[in-house]
Amino acid sequence: MKNFFADRTRLYVAIPLLVLALIPVALPDSEYEQSVLIVCFLFAIMASGWNIISGFAGYVSLGHSVFLGMGMYTGSLLGQYFNLPTYYFVLVSMLVSVLTAVIIGAVILRTKSHSFVIITIAVLLSAQLIASNWRGFTGGTEGVIFRSPSWVKELGNMPYYYMFYVVFLLTIALVWFITTSRLGAGFVAIRDDEAKAGSIGINTTQYKVIAYGLSAAPYGLAGAIYAQYLGFINPIGAFNILLSVYLVLSALIGGKGTLWGPILGGFLIALANEVATITSGGISARILIMGIVLVGTVMFLPQGILNSVKTISAKRKSAKKSVAFIDQASIAEPNTAISIEKIVRPADANANKSDVILKVTDVYKSFGGVKAVNGVSMEIKRGSITGLIGPNGSGKTTLFNCITGTYEIERGSVVLNGEEISKMQPWVRAHKGLGRTFQITKLFKSMNVLDNLVAPLEQPSVKKMLVNKIQGDEADRAREVLSFMGLSSFEQSKVGALSFGQQKLIEFAQILMLRPDIVMLDEPASGINPTLIERLSKAIKRLNDAGTTFLIVEHNIPLVLSLCDYVHVLSAGELMVSGTPDKIRNDEAVIEAYLGPDTLLTEKS
Amino acid sequence: MELIQVLIYGLLLGGVYALLSSGLSLIFGVLDIVNVSQGAYLVASAFVTWRIWESTGIEPLVLLPLISIVWFFLGLAIYRGLFARVAPQGPSMTVLLSFGIALVFEGLLNIIFGNKFKSIVNDYSLKSFDLNTIILPYTQVIASVVAVFALVLMYLYLKYSWAGRALRATAQNRDGAALVGISHNKSSAFAYAIGMATAGAGGVLLAITYPFYPATHYEWIAKLLGIIVLGGMGSLPGAIIGSILLGISEAAGNTYAPQWTILFFYSVIMLTLLFKPEGILGAKTRKDSA
Amino acid sequence: MTETVLTLNGVEAGYGGGMVLQGFNLEVKKGSITCIVGPNGAGKSTVFRVISGLLKPNKGEVILSGKNISGISPSDILKLGITQVPQTRALFPEMSVRENILMGGYSIRKDSKLLKQRIQMVEEIVPIVKERASDPAGFLSGGQRRMVEIARALVLDPSLILMDEPSLGLDPKSVAKVSELVRKMTADGRTVLLIEQNVRLGMHLATDGVVMEAGKVRISAPADKIASDPEVASMYLGKTK
Repeated sequence: MKNFFADRTRLYVAIPLLVLALIPVALPDSEYEQSVLIVCFLFAIMASGWNIISGFAGYVSLGHSVFLGMGMYTGSLLGQYFNLPTYYFVLVSMLVSVLTAVIIGAVILRTKSHSFVIITIAVLLSAQLIASNWRGFTGGTEGVIFRSPSWVKELGNMPYYYMFYVVFLLTIALVWFITTSRLGAGFVAIRDDEAKAGSIGINTTQYKVIAYGLSAAPYGLAGAIYAQYLGFINPIGAFNILLSVYLVLSALIGGKGTLWGPILGGFLIALANEVATITSGGISARILIMGIVLVGTVMFLPQGILNSVKTISAKRKSAKKSVAFIDQASIAEPNTAISIEKIVRPADANANKSDVILKVTDVYKSFGGVKAVNGVSMEIKRGSITGLIGPNGSGKTTLFNCITGTYEIERGSVVLNGEEISKMQPWVRAHKGLGRTFQITKLFKSMNVLDNLVAPLEQPSVKKMLVNKIQGDEADRAREVLSFMGLSSFEQSKVGALSFGQQKLIEFAQILMLRPDIVMLDEPASGINPTLIERLSKAIKRLNDAGTTFLIVEHNIPLVLSLCDYVHVLSAGELMVSGTPDKIRNDEAVIEAYLGPDTLLTEKS
Repeated sequence: MELIQVLIYGLLLGGVYALLSSGLSLIFGVLDIVNVSQGAYLVASAFVTWRIWESTGIEPLVLLPLISIVWFFLGLAIYRGLFARVAPQGPSMTVLLSFGIALVFEGLLNIIFGNKFKSIVNDYSLKSFDLNTIILPYTQVIASVVAVFALVLMYLYLKYSWAGRALRATAQNRDGAALVGISHNKSSAFAYAIGMATAGAGGVLLAITYPFYPATHYEWIAKLLGIIVLGGMGSLPGAIIGSILLGISEAAGNTYAPQWTILFFYSVIMLTLLFKPEGILGAKTRKDSA
Repeated sequence: MTETVLTLNGVEAGYGGGMVLQGFNLEVKKGSITCIVGPNGAGKSTVFRVISGLLKPNKGEVILSGKNISGISPSDILKLGITQVPQTRALFPEMSVRENILMGGYSIRKDSKLLKQRIQMVEEIVPIVKERASDPAGFLSGGQRRMVEIARALVLDPSLILMDEPSLGLDPKSVAKVSELVRKMTADGRTVLLIEQNVRLGMHLATDGVVMEAGKVRISAPADKIASDPEVASMYLGKTK
C-alpha cells in the first residue's frame, strides 16, 4: 500500500475520490450537497467524454450533448416498455450512443474538413426535432414523466449519487486508458499532424471513428441514469444546446487534452452554475455569462487552467537548472554495438522477393496546366541506394510524392513488392513497407522524442491499440534505434527544443521503427551541417548493408554521387538518364540540365 | 400547377437563403473560420429592426441599408478585437470563439427583448400575389427580391471595387496579394465585416417574413451551415445551389410535412457527403495544388 | 563609370538557427542584368528576401541609390520602386489577365489616371496583356503566366526588378520570350537582378554575374567570364574522389 502511494500524485487523486465516495454515508443529511455533486459528476463526465474527440483527437464537436439525450431516451423508452426505472438500461443506452457516433463518424470523419463541427450541431438539432415530432415513440414535446422508485423516500439521492459516481470513475478510467495507451497516442498524433500520422501507418479514419465512439460512451451511461434522476424527459431538456456549451466550457477552462482538466473544469462550471442559480436565477444572464466566459477563455486562457499551471511550473524548474545547450555536435557517436538485425526486418523475409522492389510505370501528374510528371517510368532495385535528382521544376519531388501517396496520380502505376499501391491510403503503404521522411521535418510537437519514435504502426492490430504506449518491446526497440543513431540523450526531449538537424535525424529514426523495406528520403541533407550529413550517410550505409532499400531525392549532388549506387535524373517532368554515379557525373545531358549547354568540365585533382 | 408553385416558392426561399449563406461562405473561404455566430448576428439584426419599427413605425426595408452598414462596422470591430488574436491558433479555436460570441448575443437579446416570439406585422404581411393557381405571399416575394438585389450588389462590389478586388486576391493567392501590397489583416477584417453585413441585411428580411426569438439563431445557423456543407465549403456558387435545394425542399415539405423538411435536408447532406465528402462544388483539400 | 543602383554591404541574415548569409557583398550596376547563381542552400532566395524587406538583416546594410533601406517594410519597398517576380505562382488564377495587371497597381490605385497610363505602357511592352486581357489567368500556360507576372511587376514603373528563377518550368520557346522581355526592360533604363539555377542560361542573358556559395559571394564578374569558368561547374557537380 505504501509503495502504491509513493507517487504523490496518486495521493492527490485518491484522497478526494475517497472523500467523494464517503460523503453520502458520512453525512446522511446532505441531500442538497449531494444533488450539487451529482451535477458536478455529470459535467465532469460529459467534459471528459468530449475531451476524447475534441481535446485529444482535435476534432471539435459542438453538439455533443446529443449523446446524453440519446441515453436518456433509450432508457426512457425501454423503461416504459419493461416497466422498470431507466437506469436498468445503462448498457443498452451506452450501446445506442456509441453506435450513433460510429455511424455518423464513418460518414463524416473520412476527410479532414470543417464539416464535422457543423454536422454535430445539425445532429443535435435533428434529434430534438425527431424527439418532438415522433409522438408515438417519444411522447413528443410533452415528454414522459417517470414514477419514482420505491426507495426514494428512504434513501433519497444516495443511490443516484453512487450511480453517477460509478460512471464518473469509469469515465476517469477510460480517459486514463487513452492517455496511457497507443490508441490515445494515435489520437494525439492525428491532432498534431494528421497527414504525418497517416504516413507512419495510423489508419486515421478508423482512429477518429473510434475516438468519436468512445467519446459518446460515458454520455450513454450517464443519460440512462439522468432520466430517472430528473424524473421526466422532454426533447428540449434532453437535447439541450446549453448543456453542450457547459461541457465545452468545462473542458476548455480545465484544460483540454489532459486527464484531469475537464474534471476540474466540470466541477468548477457546475459549482458556478449552482451559485448563479442561487443568486440570480435568470437563464438569460446565464447564457450571457457563459458566452463571455467562453470568449474570455478562448482569448486569454485557451490552454486551460491545468496546462497553464504545468507551463508555469515547468518554466520555474528550467529556470533553476542551467539551460542545457543542445548543439549539433553533442549528438553522440552511433552505437556500433547495436546489432543491425534488431533494427531491420530479418533478411530471410526478403528471400523470395523479386529484384525490383519498386516499379513506377508511365506516371502522369499535372497541376492546373502544368505537367509536373510527364510519363515517367523507372525501376528501383532491391537493396540499392538510389538517387533521384534533377533541377528545380524537374518533377522529382512530385514523383516522390506520387509514390508515397501524398499526390494522386492521373495515369500509370506504382508497384511495390509486386503490389499496385497507387490507390492505397498512405497508412496502407506504410504497412506494405514504405517509409518516408519529409523535407521540412514532421514530428508530433505534443510528444517527446521517445513517444514520437513509438508512434509508427508497422502493422495494424487491435492489440497494439490497447497496449501501454511506453512499455513493451516497442519502447525497447525505440531505445535501440535511438542508440543506433547516437541520439539516446534526446530520448526525453521535447520536439520543440531540438535543432532542425537533430529533428531530421530523429525523424529518420522514427521511420526506421516501421522496419520499412524501402526508405524514401525527401532532401535529407537540406539545412543540416556536414557532420550530421556524415552521420546520416553512415546510418544509411549500415542499414543498406543489412538489406534496406533507399530512394533519395536530393539537391546535394556530391552527396548523391558518393552515397548512391544508382541515380535517376529527371528534367522537365521526364526521365532524362539513369545510371551509376560515374556515368551521371560525366553525362553531357545532365551537365547541361544543371549548368546549361556547352560547359567545359575539367576535373580538379 | 402544384409543382410550379413549389418550384417558384422554393426559389423565393432559396434567394433569401442565398444571401444569408453567402456571408458564411465568404468568411470561411477567406478566413477559414466556421462562423457559427452568423445566426446570432441575423437574429440580432431582426430584433433591432423590429424595435425600430415598433417604436417609430418606419418601414423596415428602408432600414436595411443602414443596419447593413452598422453591422459592417460591428464586424470590423469584432474581427479586429477578437478574431485577429485567436485566428493563428487555428479553426478549432475560432469556432469556439464564434460560439461564445453567439451566446453573448443571445444572452443580450434575451435580457433586452425577453424570450418571446416577435414578428413584424405590416399592411402587406398578410397579402399575397394571386396568379391563378400560384399563390405567393407578399412578404416572401419582397424578401426574395431584396435578397437577390443585395446579393447582386455585393457581387458587383466585390468585383469592381478595390476593396473587393483585394479580398478576392487574398482568397485566391495570399502570397501574391502580399506581393502587390495588399495587407492581409485589412483584407481579413474586411471579409468578416462583409459577412456580418449580409447578416445585418438578412435580419431585416427575416424580421418581415418569419417570427423569431433569441434562441432561433440555432435553427438558422444549422440551416446555413448545412447549406454551405452541401454546396461545398468556401464556394459561393455552391452556397447558392445549396440554398436553392433547401428552398425547394422546404417548399415541397411545407405542403406535406413541414417539421420533417429540415431532417430531409440533413439526410440529403449526409448522403451527399457519403459520396462526395467535399460537397457538391467543394474543392478537394488543397494538397493537389502546386 | 556606371552608376550603382543597389549595394549590399556585409549583410548577415538568416532564420532561427543559423545565418544563411554571412558577410554578403553585392553591387548591382544601373541598367544591368545581374544574375546570381549558386548551388541550393547557398542563400540566393534569402538575398531577395532581405532586399524586398521580408527579412531584416542582423548586420550590414542594403543601399538603394544612396539610401539605406535595410529593414524597411515590404510595402514601402514597393513604393521605392523595387518589385519582384517570385519563383512560385503569383497570379490570381480566377481573375482575368487584365485584372491581374490592374492589381499590380494596387499601391497606386488612388491615382486612376496614372494607373491607366501605366497599364497602357505595360500593354506596349508585353503584348500578351492585351491579347489575352479577358482570359482567366489560370487558363494560361506556364510561359504565358510568367509574362503576365513580369508585366504586373512593371505597372509600378520600377527601377529595380527582382526575378526569382524566371525560366523555371518553362519550355525553351517561352524562355526565349522571357529573355527578350528582360532585355527590353533594361533597354528602357531599368535594372534587373535575377536568380537562376541554370548557370549557362543565366549568364547568357545577363551582363554581370555573381556566384554564391554558403552565404557568401564566391565569384563576381562579367557574365561571359563566369559562363566559361570551370570552377563553377565543379561547384555544382562536386569534386571527384
